Amino acid sequence: MSITAHRAATGRTPGPGRGPRLGLLWHQIRYEQLSFWRNPQSALFTFAFPVVVMAIFGALFGGIGKSAFYYGRSALQYYVSTIAAVSVLGSCYSQLAIVLATRRQNGILKRVRATPLSAFAYFVGLLAHCVLVGVVDVLLITAVGRIYGVSLPAASQWPSLAVTLVLGGAAFCALGVAVASSVHNAEAAPPVVQLVLFPLVFVSGTYMPIHSAVLNGIAGALPVKPFNDALLRAFTTDQGGLPWRDYGVLLLWGIAGTAVAVRRFRWAPRTR
Amino acid sequence: MADAVVVEGLHKRYGTVWAVRGVSFAVEHGEIFALLGPNGAGKTTTMEILEGFRGRDLGRVDVLGLDPGERATERLLRERIGLVLQDIAVEPWLTVRETVARDAGCYSAPRDVDEVIDLVGLAGLERKKVRALSGGQKRRLDLALGLIGDPGLLFLDEPTTGFDPHARRGAWQLIRDLREAGITIVLTTHSMDEAQELADRVAVIADGRIVAEGSPAALGGRDTARARIRFALPPPTTVADLPVPATPGADGLVTVESAELTRTLHRLTVWALRRDTVLAGLTVDRPSLEDVYLRLTDQDHSAPRRSAP
Repeated sequence: MSITAHRAATGRTPGPGRGPRLGLLWHQIRYEQLSFWRNPQSALFTFAFPVVVMAIFGALFGGIGKSAFYYGRSALQYYVSTIAAVSVLGSCYSQLAIVLATRRQNGILKRVRATPLSAFAYFVGLLAHCVLVGVVDVLLITAVGRIYGVSLPAASQWPSLAVTLVLGGAAFCALGVAVASSVHNAEAAPPVVQLVLFPLVFVSGTYMPIHSAVLNGIAGALPVKPFNDALLRAFTTDQGGLPWRDYGVLLLWGIAGTAVAVRRFRWAPRTR
Repeated sequence: MADAVVVEGLHKRYGTVWAVRGVSFAVEHGEIFALLGPNGAGKTTTMEILEGFRGRDLGRVDVLGLDPGERATERLLRERIGLVLQDIAVEPWLTVRETVARDAGCYSAPRDVDEVIDLVGLAGLERKKVRALSGGQKRRLDLALGLIGDPGLLFLDEPTTGFDPHARRGAWQLIRDLREAGITIVLTTHSMDEAQELADRVAVIADGRIVAEGSPAALGGRDTARARIRFALPPPTTVADLPVPATPGADGLVTVESAELTRTLHRLTVWALRRDTVLAGLTVDRPSLEDVYLRLTDQDHSAPRRSAP
């Protein structure tokens, strides 16, 4: 095999990097998807957990009709939205934080850093992958809900649903990167992720509706409840317009997460 | 043409400790340059500064005409250099071909994926998952990733650690072939054999400084050093009976150092023949690269390294 022959040759296959930015982005998403689906653990846990929870909730609360406790909705109408929300949290925030911390520890991020791929392209590819996984999760949960007789979102709500998923997904990705930037080793990532997430989903009414004005006031300023509320609105009403206040809170958290990530993110494990 | 790598007065400090204090060297285009040194001598820090992974405190660094500490030209530098490092890893669930193709997509003018896989000797394993590769195969994949961007300069961090002797010879030949193809290579190694076999020039770094630089054959005055003649004294003679000055060693052999090897050997053999005896275990050698290396790097490492640059 001649090496010299190659270097003398002029015709080279242009990689996606030479084409438009979108090509490179698609390249990144494609390989993120490949890595994800090949790993039986990540694929199973990401999709099995929300579907199992939804199936159990369907069996538990299927008989509870519209009530004031669920803000005038049936129990399952309520849970389809909140479990969908928590599955997006899982795919965007938890998964991303753990995956990044692990990749950094393994040296995979350093390998990425060794190529001309920009940090921007890498993260946008990763983020798009996470949001895609979140969307698949939401579709699965909606399907399980449908089996239990929960109606699909009104057609007028699809744009709002899409905006909520993309904005929420992006904000939780930013927070996931922020957490990955703040832990120093991969072993610390899962407990830190859970420590933040667990109380947050409870006070945000994910598993049971909250009727305390104080708690709702606090949770309303945190990222999970606005996401729940925006999804609940899209899934169960046909109100016009968009939930701007919820979007505003999500956007601010997304910006805060990005700021921490940009300042503190490391590509290589700490050596000294 | 200017040198591929120029380092002048490089300093790097961690807190109050100067890990690198005044390192200077140059690597010519198309040569294999080996950086040797014990762990903690500043070798890794120097390499990481050249590779653009670490900032510096003082000094000038020029890699293919670019400053690796300059963010504005970082991507340009990444297009031109290839890295094969110890602590670099890839996704375990992708196949060999997918892994190489993924990185190819990150460069504006990559080499052909199958050609590179073939070049590093992974042909036939394209569809194998990375996690199922052996240690040596993974190192070859690392090399493929270092080459996929068609670099003009390749950094190799201990390229054959963990290889069996056959794989090692193969890797050395491949590295020589890369040099023939015009790629400049900067490598680190702990193996003196490797430096001797591969490197056109060697620099030894110890305690944050370059203590010697030259061809492996001439490093530290090896080529001009006195030859050593060693043999067992035939009983009942003593060192005093010998026609040349000699020093007895703990292993029962005496050592004679000589700047005029032919003459000294002649005197010794004539002396032995006249007594009708033999010089048992006779060997003649010069200091090996390892001897020179050990002498150069044998320093009191407990000494504080806080001196100002």
